[in-house]
Amino acid sequence: MLHGLNPSLKLAGLIIITAGILIYPSWRFSSLLLILTILGFKVSNVPLDVSKRRIRFLVAFSALLFVFQVLMTANGTILFFIIPKYDLMGPFLPVTDFGIGKGLEMSLRFLLVVFSSMLFVSVTDPTLLAHSLTRLRIPYRYSFALVIALRFLPLFDMENKTVRIAQRSRGISISVRGMSRILRSIRYTFFPLLVSALSRVDALSLSMDGRGFGHSRTRTYLRKSCWTALDSAVLVLLSTLLLASILLTLGFLPQMSAII
Amino acid sequence: MLEVHDVSFSYDNENMILDSVNFQIRRGEITVITGPTGSGKSTLALVLAGFIPRVIEGTFTGSLLIDGENVENDLISEIARKVALVQQDPESQICTLLVSDEVAFGPENYSLAPSEIRKRVEVSLNAVESSHLTNRPTYALSGGEKQRVTIASMLAGKPDFLLLDEPSASLDPKGIQQLRKALLGLKNSGYGILCIEHRLETILPIADRVLQLSQSEISKWSGKTSSTKTTPVEHFRRPDSAEPLLMAKGVSYSYGTISAVRDVTLSVYPGEIVALMGDNGSGKSTLVSLLAGLLQSTEGTTYIEGVSSIEMTAQDVAARVAVVFQNPNHQIFERTVQREQYLVFDVLDSLDEVPSERPEEILLAAGLADLKERNPFSLSHGQKRRLNVSSVTVHEPLVYLFDEPFIGQDEIGRNFITQAIRKRGESGGAAILVTHDSAVATSLCNRIIFMERGSVLLDGPPKIVLDRLREIGYGEYADLGVMS
Repeated sequence: MLHGLNPSLKLAGLIIITAGILIYPSWRFSSLLLILTILGFKVSNVPLDVSKRRIRFLVAFSALLFVFQVLMTANGTILFFIIPKYDLMGPFLPVTDFGIGKGLEMSLRFLLVVFSSMLFVSVTDPTLLAHSLTRLRIPYRYSFALVIALRFLPLFDMENKTVRIAQRSRGISISVRGMSRILRSIRYTFFPLLVSALSRVDALSLSMDGRGFGHSRTRTYLRKSCWTALDSAVLVLLSTLLLASILLTLGFLPQMSAII
Repeated sequence: MLEVHDVSFSYDNENMILDSVNFQIRRGEITVITGPTGSGKSTLALVLAGFIPRVIEGTFTGSLLIDGENVENDLISEIARKVALVQQDPESQICTLLVSDEVAFGPENYSLAPSEIRKRVEVSLNAVESSHLTNRPTYALSGGEKQRVTIASMLAGKPDFLLLDEPSASLDPKGIQQLRKALLGLKNSGYGILCIEHRLETILPIADRVLQLSQSEISKWSGKTSSTKTTPVEHFRRPDSAEPLLMAKGVSYSYGTISAVRDVTLSVYPGEIVALMGDNGSGKSTLVSLLAGLLQSTEGTTYIEGVSSIEMTAQDVAARVAVVFQNPNHQIFERTVQREQYLVFDVLDSLDEVPSERPEEILLAAGLADLKERNPFSLSHGQKRRLNVSSVTVHEPLVYLFDEPFIGQDEIGRNFITQAIRKRGESGGAAILVTHDSAVATSLCNRIIFMERGSVLLDGPPKIVLDRLREIGYGEYADLGVMS
């Protein structure tokens, strides 16, 4: 369903969601938007497979953010101690209501930004995005940078896997023991990927120049994006969302901010 | 006519890549240029397409003429309307996610009307017999398909001249036949075509002129490809008592839902040099990674010297098996050629036990002895691949697994890699090389394993397998590589 929306609108949606959560950083607000995003995955038939390693990593990372934030925040009402008082020792590591709120805020915000970006990439046709951005008078050189980034994302993902296999074949195991080993691991991954990326950039820019990219200030498009009544409705909704987050943070909606 | 007059070029103002070169391409003709790596063939193509001196920096003198007219003051986008260059790696030249978008990209840049663009997309894809790909995503194409789409996207600009840099490099014999047919069709409709090729035999049957570029001299090609000796190797007799070095038992592997290797069982014994052949996408590269214990099979087990490979550490594997992958950039890790050459000893904690002569000897044989302090990433493609081979074999592991090692190699490079493989076989080791080239298979290997859609279709001595391939409709494998 989200596939059919105007690409620029979807980009605006992504920006508004990210901006909204920065303007009004409440974990309730974040979880509301996160639920909406996950609904977005459902209605547009994009799989959000929790068994996939990458998704698992993201969820684990956000949990880590949560734990870290809880441990680091000492102010607020103390709920309990992780290491209780024993004899004369302790108690240590208080868990406070403020800490939990802060932790949820951080981890949910992280998940929201990542998942909404993933949803955006999955439901947006880059070529149509380029066209609709051009309609907004953004020079096509910039909008095509976005198209190319999206085109090469899956490729770099694949190359990363290949480099890992090549490392293993040379007996290089990625080690996190000791700073010098970490640095070496990074170098052994980063160098091959960077070099391969740079050589691709050279070939790609020649190939684009060789097909007249940048020939004149405007260009035509075979496939065009369009704007429908549904797009207008979604735009109104998104603007309301942005306005609400501004009003909430300014304290103009006291009844609502008590809830979210 | 497309011509260069008295062209000289140097990237660094010291080493002349081209020196007073004169050259013409005529319409309705297929010209082929061959020559050793580093002789400036690709650079000449960049001059002909106008990228030198407009986009690529360096010291340039001379002139480019299209139909007798000097185009010195034309912009690259003006020249591109007449001359199109298809570079080596089709993957890097595709900038959109849909085939029709890709072919439309050029005409869109020249602000043509959508109706005209639609027509050109249709005609161009037709010209390379790829109309069925119109609505396919570009990332899901095979290597051969990507290349035909890249050619179509150049044709959509309606150029007069088409330059192709090693178009057959990664194509399987079917892909080569399709490419030949497409190029012949284009020639007959009046295009002037230039192909740069190392694997001459792939393009020779359709060539009108074959030239050689060597030390800035363009001359008529002498007609010898000594790299493809077709004296078949003697029939290999496996010693009865030998234990297999590599073994796969009922091995399968899938990428997501796509099954790449299905239920493969095979053993490789000391002394065997195996050519692993089959169409692009038939699972050859995946099988290589499985045999080396680099991928965990979804079913079945692979063994290296009798030990289940997935239980081995990375070091254990590296000590026994040398793997060379397709893209050289993915497997170079160090900052200098010298360090890259010694990396494996460092990894295996055996720097004290480095055999004194061996690393230097092998660098010398690879033609890299003078480049020891160079950053490996600054080497040419052919040099990088030779470094790959020398740095994974320097500690003399028992088994070599090479994935298309001969791509982009001139005679010197081919000889170096061939020697390394041959020696390994003779001294009690084994080698598997993925190749499309039946001349290599018959002259170097004593066994061919032919794969079809993830399974082993044929397995046996080269001559018998090639004969059988001819009978079952894979004749192009048997015919290609045998010089007529």
